[in-house]
Order: sequence, then structure tokens, then C-alpha cells
Amino acid sequence: MLPSYYEFFNPVKILSGNKALDNLPYELDQLGVSRPIIVSDKGVVKAGLMKHVKAAFDSSGMTIGAIFDDVPPDSSSKVVNDIAVVYRENGCDAIVAVGGGSPIDTAKGVNIVISENSDNLMEFEGADRLKKPMQPFVVIPTTAGTGSEVTLAAVIKNTEKNVKMGFASHLLFPKVAILDPRMTITMPPHITAATGMDALSHAMESYTCLQKNPLSDAYAFAAIKMISENLPKAVEDGNDEDARSAMANASTMAGAAFSNSMCGMVHALGHSVGAICHIPHGMAMSIFLPIGLEYNLEKTEKYVAELLLPLGGMEEYTKMPEERRAARTIVLVRKLQQNLYDLCGLPRNLKEAGVPRNKLESIAQAAINDGTLTFNPLEMDEKDAMNVLNEAYTW
Amino acid sequence: MGKQYRPITPGKKWFKALVAKIVLIVLGRAFQSGARHDPDIKKEVSAWPEGFIVIMNVLPFGPRMALEKINGRLKYRGTKYDDGDLVVNFKNLECAFLVLTPQIGSAQAFAERRMTVKGDIAYAMAFTRCLNTLLTLLYPKFICKRLLKRVPPMPLKKLMVKVVVNVIGVPFGL
Ligand SMILES: NC(=O)c1ccc[n+]([C@@H]2O[C@H](COP(=O)([O-])OP(=O)(O)OC[C@H]3O[C@@H](n4cnc5c(N)ncnc54)[C@H](O)[C@@H]3O)[C@@H](O)[C@H]2O)c1
Ligand SMILES: [Fe+2]
Repeated sequence: MLPSYYEFFNPVKILSGNKALDNLPYELDQLGVSRPIIVSDKGVVKAGLMKHVKAAFDSSGMTIGAIFDDVPPDSSSKVVNDIAVVYRENGCDAIVAVGGGSPIDTAKGVNIVISENSDNLMEFEGADRLKKPMQPFVVIPTTAGTGSEVTLAAVIKNTEKNVKMGFASHLLFPKVAILDPRMTITMPPHITAATGMDALSHAMESYTCLQKNPLSDAYAFAAIKMISENLPKAVEDGNDEDARSAMANASTMAGAAFSNSMCGMVHALGHSVGAICHIPHGMAMSIFLPIGLEYNLEKTEKYVAELLLPLGGMEEYTKMPEERRAARTIVLVRKLQQNLYDLCGLPRNLKEAGVPRNKLESIAQAAINDGTLTFNPLEMDEKDAMNVLNEAYTW
Repeated sequence: MGKQYRPITPGKKWFKALVAKIVLIVLGRAFQSGARHDPDIKKEVSAWPEGFIVIMNVLPFGPRMALEKINGRLKYRGTKYDDGDLVVNFKNLECAFLVLTPQIGSAQAFAERRMTVKGDIAYAMAFTRCLNTLLTLLYPKFICKRLLKRVPPMPLKKLMVKVVVNVIGVPFGL
């Protein structure tokens, strides 16, 4: 069934596969620039990925304006403002983000302050606050999870108030995203697992939340199939290039899906646990996904049942009677969760993730004030959130 | 000589604008009254800073409605302000009409991007919760079922608040 109305927008050019990264100078040239700043973090440098990026510029006639590789895990408005200074000092004319969601979102923030010619990111918090044309912006993801390379959003910490700020604007989309298997192959198993579950939660929430639509459904459906077939493989054998490429593509597709259909309570709870207890986003997603699917089942049973096909495969789907498919989908998500626990110790519940029980109340309060909750199919008030959190604590 | 081409001046949707204007006045007064008598709305508003201004606005030229927290109380301020700490914009008159008449709920309106928010999202969430409570005070259950994800029960106490908001709240803003 079609929604009575929906919008869909995804203007990012995708380059994917063997030696994709080497097209970076060509793409920059197409965008009319030749002196990009590169925004990254220490983990990415330590994994030896920056050398691929630098090599891509060899014999290109371009100059790397600067490499800022100090983005912290909890990126903040202060870091963004610092990078903007480096950008201006070195006369840069474009931004290239190399990393996971943290450097990518930070780079989006830098693009805001540079393009709006400001020195204070906080002025632009919220939706549709940006008006000026943006700097050319290219993203090279090194995790396969956030999908931030194809989303209109950025989440950045406000250093003064110690809260996460959300930014959303169609101007924040990168121009180009480069998915090169070399860039994700170095991810250690537990980061592969956690970020992969982030991608799965994007796809599944997108397929079941209020603004699902035929276009986002198609992306989400395809992403789930690839994740279910490739995530355990990529965790087990990091050097499996096919599995890595599949995960990178799946994560991008899931990103395109949820950037348009939005996500729901799984993300509302995940953002809150992340902000209060500093546990990685993907880890939180893995814990809340099955619980969120179950919570909304009353309204979404049909959709969750449909997801058994991409998640479990044709045989699993056809042999399962229709009325048991939704429940089976959730069982398979649990199995995947358990599998990842066995492979690399990815926590299955909040207790294993090290969340103190006395924080649950403040997490519940934060969750009901998170914008993504708007798009959840069923109501979740503070009391409901507490019940869910208690369930997630020791499940 | 061929056909002449000239600029066209679009008409005016005066009826829909009038309806939106009236509903916003009713909503504003009901909000002021609800913030006084309804414990749920009261609790939400108590967390807002003094001087906090909320605007509901139809783009591009209104109508619009403002609420302001003065001396700890939420006041309906008519069209006094055109900018605030939290601004909820309807993208056009048709969007506003759908929400205000009320054919669709706020969750659907946000999901369909018919409404956008300027300001801190946490306050927008609180404001939406107040709006949802207000709907249960203004409309019968069968309408609320269409607008809300879950219609809360209406115990006797709430029923009295409902009577107060409708009898003296909307007409007199009390
Ligand atoms: N904008 C969006 O749409 C969106 C969506 C989801 C999440 N997010 C944000 O993204 C952030 C999380 O991003 P993330 O999960 O990608 O993690 P991340 O970027 O924080 O990276 C996690 C760790 O992995 C390391 N790493 C990254 N790639 C590596 C590689 N190839 N080899 C070795 N190590 C590598 C990093 O150095 C870092 O230490 C959160 O802040 C979250 O809020 C944004
Ligand atoms: Fe996510």
C-alpha cells in the first residue's frame, strides 16, 4: 500500500568497488576543486588507510590542503570550529571525509560553518536552517554501518551544554560517496559487527516505521538481504573482500532508506544510551533492534513478516506459515545477535554493554525527547520506555 | 500576431486561511487553559524556561499563533511574535488545513514532512506531547483515534479538565 504522501531524495553519486578510491581526484576535478582538506581520525590512520588516500592523489596535479586526523569518537562543535580554522588557513576548497560516522558527521559540520561563513556551528542546529550553497564534499566511509555518506543528517555534540545536536538539511548530502573494499577491510571484528547491526537497524526501522514508502522499501529490502548473507562472514574473516563490499553497499542502501523514511524507537533509545553512557551506536542498535521490532508488532506484523524473505532466505520464508513469519524474523535477528556475541563478544544486553542500572531512568527521559520517536509506529511514553529498557537490561 | 504571454497573479485561498486562523485562535486559548488545568501539560510546560516562545506558523505569510511562558504560566499571545524559540511551520496552507481541521495527526504530518520545526528538537517533542493531550481535551474519542497513535483513557478527573477547557478555556482563555 502506498502512503498517502511521501518524499524521497538521494542526490549522492556512488562509486563502488575495485580501486574506486583512485577516482577521487577525477571527481574533485569534476566538482571544480583541487585543494581538499581531509577529515579523519586516529584509528583510521593507525589502520594504514590514509596512505591509500594519499596515493590516490599521486600524479594528479592536486594538492592536499591539509589532513586533520584528530576527530574524537564523540565529535563536538569545538572540533568542528577548530577544523574550520585549519581549512581557512590552508586555503582549502573542498572537504573529504575518511572514516566512520564520527569523521563524516564532523565533516558535515565543518561544511556548515565554512559555507555559512560562521565560526559557530551551534547557530545552525535543527532542520532546514541552512541557506547558502555548500562546499564540494566527498565521503569515503571506512565502517559499514551509519550510512552517513548518503544521509541529510549529522549528529554533533555541543561542548558547552554536553548534549547531542542534530542537523538536517538537503544541503548536507555529500556530492560523492566512494565505497572501496580496501577501506573497510581493516575494521576489527567487534566494530564490523556493531556497525553492521547499525545498518541492519536502519533498514529494518525504515521498512517498518511511519514514513516507509516504495522507494525506501526497495533499498531497505535489498540491504537486509546483503547484511544477513554477509555480516557474519565479514566478522569471521575480515579479509573477505566480497563480504566487505557487500556490507559497504548494504550500509549505503540502508542509509538511503532511513534518510528518507526515518527510523523509530530503536534509534531514539540508542541515541539516548549513547549520549548518557557513551556506548558505541552500533552496539546499542544491536541490543534494541529485536526489542523494538517486538514492541511495534501490533501495528507492523505484516511488514516484519515480509522481512523474513530477505533475512532468512527463500526456503525459510516459504516453509514458514504466514502467521508465524513475523515472530520468526525476530527470532532470526536474535540468532544473528547471538552469533555475533559468539564470534566477537558483541553485547546482547545493556548489562553486558556495561550500562549502570541506575541510569535507565534518565535514558528513558532522553529517549522520549528524541526526534526519531515521532516516526515510530506505536506510542512510547516514559513508562513504556522504562519497560523496554528493563527488558533490554538482562534479556 | 501570435498569442500573448503575460504574468499570472495567483488567487487567494481566503476560506482556508480564515479557517486556519480561527482554529489557531481556538488552539491557542485551549493551550493556555490546558497549561493551567491539565496536569500533563502543566508538567511539560514547567520544564520550559521563563520567556520561552512557541510559534505555530503557516508559510509563507501566516496565519500564525504564539504562546509565551510568562511568570511560570503559558499565555496565548495571538500574532504578537513572528519568531520564537520553537517555531512549528506548516509548509503551506493546505498542509495546515489538513492538520488543523483535523484530518491528520501531528506524527503523520511530521512523517509526511508537511510540518517542519525550527529550534531544539527536545522542546518540539514536548510541545507535540502537549498538542496530543490537547486534542484529547478538544475532540471526542473517535476523532482522536485517527489522530493519535494511542488514545489515553479519560478518567473522571480528565473529563472535568475537558469540560473546563471547552466551557471557559476556549471562549475566555481561562
Ligand atoms: N548522520 C547519520 O545519518 C548517522 C547515522 C548513524 C550514526 N551516526 C553517527 O555515527 C557515529 C558512529 O559512527 P561509526 O559507528 O561509523 O563509528 P566511528 O566513526 O566512531 O568509528 C569507530 C572506531 O572505528 C575506527 N575505525 C573506523 N574505520 C576503521 C577501519 N576501516 N579500520 C580500523 N578502524 C576503523 C575508528 O577509528 C574509531 O575508533 C555516531 O556518532 C553516530 O551518532 C550518524
Ligand atoms: Fe544508526
